[in-house]
Amino acid sequence: MPCKHVIGHGPELARALAAWRSVALSSAPAAALELRPLELDPAAGQAALAAALDGLDGLDDEGASAFVALDARFLNGMRLDLMASLRLRGIAMPALVEPGALVAAGVRMDDNCWIGAGAIIQHGSRISFNTVIGAGAIVGSGVTVGHSAWIDEGVVIGRGARIGAQVTLGLGVIVGHGRQIGKLCIVDKAGRIEQDIAARTFIHATHAQPIVIIGA
Amino acid sequence: MRSRMPPQAYIDEAWFARERALLFKPLWQFVGLKVMLDKHNAFITRTLFGIPVVVQNFHGELRAFENICPHRQNPIQVAPHGVRPLFCGYHGWSFDREGATRIPHEDALYRFAQEERACIHLRRFALEVVGNLVFVCLAETPLPIRQQFGAAMLASLTASSLAYDSEVIMTTYEGHFNWKLAYENLRDGHHPRYLHARSLYQDVKFEASISEEGVAGLHRLQQAGIGDRNRALGLMRSFSGGGRDAPMAAPPDEPYHAYVERYRDQDWYYNWLAFPNLHIASANGGHAFIIEHHIPVAAGRTDLVVYYLTAKKKQSYASSAAVLHAHMMGADVVMREDIAVMEQIQRTLHPGARSPHLGDYEYINASLELWYLDLMEGNFAL
Repeated sequence: MPCKHVIGHGPELARALAAWRSVALSSAPAAALELRPLELDPAAGQAALAAALDGLDGLDDEGASAFVALDARFLNGMRLDLMASLRLRGIAMPALVEPGALVAAGVRMDDNCWIGAGAIIQHGSRISFNTVIGAGAIVGSGVTVGHSAWIDEGVVIGRGARIGAQVTLGLGVIVGHGRQIGKLCIVDKAGRIEQDIAARTFIHATHAQPIVIIGA
Repeated sequence: MRSRMPPQAYIDEAWFARERALLFKPLWQFVGLKVMLDKHNAFITRTLFGIPVVVQNFHGELRAFENICPHRQNPIQVAPHGVRPLFCGYHGWSFDREGATRIPHEDALYRFAQEERACIHLRRFALEVVGNLVFVCLAETPLPIRQQFGAAMLASLTASSLAYDSEVIMTTYEGHFNWKLAYENLRDGHHPRYLHARSLYQDVKFEASISEEGVAGLHRLQQAGIGDRNRALGLMRSFSGGGRDAPMAAPPDEPYHAYVERYRDQDWYYNWLAFPNLHIASANGGHAFIIEHHIPVAAGRTDLVVYYLTAKKKQSYASSAAVLHAHMMGADVVMREDIAVMEQIQRTLHPGARSPHLGDYEYINASLELWYLDLMEGNFAL
């Protein structure tokens, strides 16, 4: 029976395990899949995380695969680091498309992507590795979403929009057609975005004005 | 002791206008960071006490001007920061490092008389760079900056700010309180154990204390008065200071610390208070710095422009943006605790409110208010 290491933290780990079970059960015929969860403490530091991964058994087994389920903390960087660590170990990390998601033919989706139940990804879009598209989100045609983005539940991205790497779009965000959101941005304030947003801009509902990073 | 500060000093717009003229206009004001102005045509804009100011880099030289086109009074630079020539997008007027104007189609469309043309230039303000900190003065005859802060404070600001990295995160909080509540709060070392009990005080155990020498000095001031302008300037310099404040509860330890050149090597909370309205601190022993600039907007409104940066990077690292964002969101908790209490006080104040009672540990705030009221009463001028 193939095994899948599901590695992560908190509610995302629990949801990913449930989703992989649903995927196995919904395939016809139902597939046998051994799930091996590993709960990590994201605050434990790089050395502790590396040690936990080193202790995993069965990474080299035939048919073994892995999936990383972490939230958007640290500008999605923790999920990215964890995924990169696993990739270096050479294990397959196929995308998770939950039952009920509608992904059009021709959509390109890379490793460790997670498409939530009821999400709709329209024709010609590209979802780069390690990106999470929440349940019920709508991604219009021809959209590009960079790696390690976090698109929250119910977010709408208009056709032709470009979402940079490690971007977080929070609840209630609607990105207008063709708009561009630079890498490492957070938009966590409900509303429709009709202007491009420069990289490293953080728009929080709690803040009257955007937070921005200048320089390098 | 009973404070002499009337509630009008915090809530009255006429008082605020007088304060702007007597206190802020003559003094040097922080306007931004040199690292934000590190290339030709880089600029920052701020509105200081109702006056729009642009600081622009002209081939490495920083100049400050009033950010108003002399033609139709459009702001010349519209964004808060960026890289763009000093050029008005309304009718194409542009300006050089002296503020002199180039007017397209001048002869065909404007036909200014020679006398009038000679007056068409930008209003320039004095500018000083202290390490990485850029200050402007809106007065026509600026006070030497050394007389405002003192040589030791300037040296400390220079040394510490030269440790700043060039990657900066910033935002503005729109506070609904009088700016003086901020400086009083910052000079009150007793509030962190209560107001910040679950945030900053966990990391740094601030201990308020009474300086008998400071209290004696306050009593002398109360009896003899501030004295002449020179003594007033000397006392004002004593309101600015900086360096080590309190030891950290535990050594700072974050992965990024290995990637930056720490300012000094001591596990202390560093604190710089530059009177009247600039606060700089390092809550993690010189690995990162927060800069809070309190810009008075109205009697009951203060903008807090907040910058956060690490010490200089030894090398680029992938998570530097995430580090800055995490620091900013951590500082946000403490800032909101302070803002909430200052806004509560502001809402409570009314024209008939009684003056506060200060303890001896608040001798600095008590001295400051004596100085401030003397200034506002016209007993000396800056």
